[in-house]
Amino acid sequence: MKRSVENIADLCESQEDYCKKFIDKIIKTNREIFILSSLLEKQMCGYDIIKEIFSTCDVFLSQGTVYPILYTLEEDGIINAEYSKGDMRSKKYSLTPKGREVALRDIEEFIKALEQISVLIKR
Amino acid sequence: MNTICGWEKLLEGEIPESSVNIVTGAEGTLKSGLVFSILSNHIAEHDDHGLYITLEQNKESHLKNMSSLGIKKTDGLHIFDYQDMPAESSDREMDMMTMTREVIDYYKERYGSLTVFALDSLNALYSISEDAHLRDKMYHFFTGLRDKGLTSFLIMESSSPGLMPECHSSERFLADGTIELGIIESNGAVKRYIQILKMRSRKHAMEKHQIIIDEMGINILGPIY
Repeated sequence: MKRSVENIADLCESQEDYCKKFIDKIIKTNREIFILSSLLEKQMCGYDIIKEIFSTCDVFLSQGTVYPILYTLEEDGIINAEYSKGDMRSKKYSLTPKGREVALRDIEEFIKALEQISVLIKR
Repeated sequence: MNTICGWEKLLEGEIPESSVNIVTGAEGTLKSGLVFSILSNHIAEHDDHGLYITLEQNKESHLKNMSSLGIKKTDGLHIFDYQDMPAESSDREMDMMTMTREVIDYYKERYGSLTVFALDSLNALYSISEDAHLRDKMYHFFTGLRDKGLTSFLIMESSSPGLMPECHSSERFLADGTIELGIIESNGAVKRYIQILKMRSRKHAMEKHQIIIDEMGINILGPIY
């Protein structure tokens, strides 16, 4: 997943806004995948996830679209939330073992879907 | 929606679907408990989903309070708190109205049968919102809730019975219903009461009715006077 989004900024330089428009839409529609992908490497708070997606994908996800996903993923046992040490207002999120499986599977399927779309649209 | 024991003493029929209702009262008058009960009981009866947004406390503390009142949360009732957001993003200005709309949209999209919504409280929302164009924003917010088919309860703390802060009185005109909760002295005893001040398209009692919590949860008794 990381590999596929690393070069988005470079890709957009040539295609400018036209390309970015579609990338924006894809990421915003599938933001759950990108959130899970961010959590694969380390535990993070909600705002750090937003910042990471912004820095890697150049797409800003508002808090109102990210936090509800974090809360439902927690309800579904996909992620754990715990308060940061010394700060009872900020929660750090991490994948549960089940969540890691789900994340890897979903990311794999998402990449496959993008590849298939790319083949279908070119024919 | 007629899910609190004794509710029929107050209202003929059910609270209209897709209506926006203000629940007002001073602190300690059971506003959160009443609204949480209405949502929880409705969801248990209809097997659909609801969203309770709490801005004044976090989810864990809200659930603890509800549990201490003997009010249970049903599975389809989702609680959303904003507690860790402002702390993390103090460098960014937040448009709380837009954010709240986005949160509702997400739950509505995820759970198609999201039919009931509560915001606890409007005062807290205002205190962390940018003030400009608040009236316009409120009008669109209320309209948006109706358009989404949500029967909504917006909690608003008021300092004294029958009074809302002057700057927020427009909510009463915009809302379809106003339910007031309060504390009153009657025959030497202090009692909690509930009174429906307004409910569009429904006949309702005008009297203050006693409201209590017992082992069955919240219970509405007869008129106080």
